[in-house]
Amino acid sequence: MFKVLFKKENQLKSLIFEYMQTLKLSQESFLNALQACLLNGVLCENFNFYIKQTHKHESRADDIHDEINNLMYSKTLIPESRGDILGLLEALDTIPDLFEHILYMIQTQRLTIPVAFVPKTKELVAVSLECCELVALQVEALLQHPDKIREHMAVIDTKESLCDHIERHIIADIFADTIDPHAKLQLKELIEAIGDISDRADQVSKRINIISLKRRV
Amino acid sequence: MLPLLGGLFLGWSLGANDAANIFGTAVTSRMIRFWKAAVLAAVFVIAGAIISGQAGINTLKGLTQLTLEQAVISSVAAALTVTAMTVVGLPVSTSQSMVGAIIGIGIINQQVNYAGLGKVAACWVGTPLGALVIALVLYHILGYGYNRLNLNLFQSDAVIRTLMVLAGMYGAYALGANNVANVIAVFVGAGMIDADTAAGIGGGSIALGILTFSRPVMETVGKKLVRLDPYSALIVVLAVGATIHFYSLVGVPVSSSQAVIGAVLGAGLVRGVNTVRRKTLYHILAGWLLTPLVACCLTLVIHFAIHLRYTP
Repeated sequence: MFKVLFKKENQLKSLIFEYMQTLKLSQESFLNALQACLLNGVLCENFNFYIKQTHKHESRADDIHDEINNLMYSKTLIPESRGDILGLLEALDTIPDLFEHILYMIQTQRLTIPVAFVPKTKELVAVSLECCELVALQVEALLQHPDKIREHMAVIDTKESLCDHIERHIIADIFADTIDPHAKLQLKELIEAIGDISDRADQVSKRINIISLKRRV
Repeated sequence: MLPLLGGLFLGWSLGANDAANIFGTAVTSRMIRFWKAAVLAAVFVIAGAIISGQAGINTLKGLTQLTLEQAVISSVAAALTVTAMTVVGLPVSTSQSMVGAIIGIGIINQQVNYAGLGKVAACWVGTPLGALVIALVLYHILGYGYNRLNLNLFQSDAVIRTLMVLAGMYGAYALGANNVANVIAVFVGAGMIDADTAAGIGGGSIALGILTFSRPVMETVGKKLVRLDPYSALIVVLAVGATIHFYSLVGVPVSSSQAVIGAVLGAGLVRGVNTVRRKTLYHILAGWLLTPLVACCLTLVIHFAIHLRYTP
């Protein structure tokens, strides 16, 4: 009976899950692209293919975001919940945007990561994407089991600090190396952008926590 | 039927104004469509008036003895007071306006039931205070249960929306039960109609006001209440309903607008937030003192004007 009464809400919930699924696909394409880049260099065929895939998923996420907006303003949810969900989606949107930005940076600037920095860069990417996965779990918790939210937030916070630590190390190593100074600046920018993924995930995580706290009396 | 027109107009304006205190938040925030809210409010106002409206009618008709002419004068004076105060922009209570008008008649007749008047005045003071206390208590008790449920975003949203509509229905019932006396009690006192018929007619006129003219007021008042968080808004609506329901059991018509202010203050106190500006409080105080006074004076003036005789 409740499913009939709250039909639009259920539709909205499904759209949010679809949005999260699209973000996950975008994240997978991003990882594949980076792996292709780290293993095979910039202009390999796979890299370009994964850029297109990442863009496609990011674009699909935007479309779902628009659908969610339209549905929410057709008398679904109370204004506070609408505002919270819109804010959350906008914050989440910044993550696939960053994926695309990083890949375009590598493509347009023809960046290659010197072998010496590859292991730590891979570690930075892995931990950053773990933060994104945890954010997805946190969104699921917000929509289903809110008791897990703080637990996920604490882990994301720890991982974000670890990312900052790895980022600093890589940058220090880059400037200690003898590579071309221009290349050093380009790599620094790239590493900072990758490090930014965990920062954004952390921001989304804190926002989810606030959304949950607002529903406590 | 003609003598009833003043009372019916008063009922219509009461419905148009006071439904906002009950369903304004839910309608403005689009939790419920206006027409659904209006129909629910109209149905429950009539139900409240018919089932529980007699106590208030007995209190008001007992304040003084009225003739039919005096009943018409008092209802017209009360309706004019409500209109004048609304035009001036002061918060106005139909209950205070009606009681002021009846006191005017009592002065003319040199017969005022001071014990009954004392009870009514005490309830006026008790309305915002009572709503404040009820809001404080409800906030904590319901909050405890709400927290224990550990609801997710969608569940929390659904619970608040459902409770808001149920609270609105309860509030509308209480409004009908409490305020029908303002509309029609003087005509019962004058012996024109019996209490049961009066409750039906009075409830009907309030319902008509809700159905025809409450939308703009709902949108204005509702926007002010929407600034509260959804849980606090729910508590305010529930506290208003409970407060006016309590006074309808006591048999004293009170102001739902004053109850709203008390409840908003109460919800704000829990969170340590100043939800009502000092200027608003002064306005309410001014309206509180002026409404019965103006209605009483208007009654005396109308009575005097009607009984003027030209002597060449």
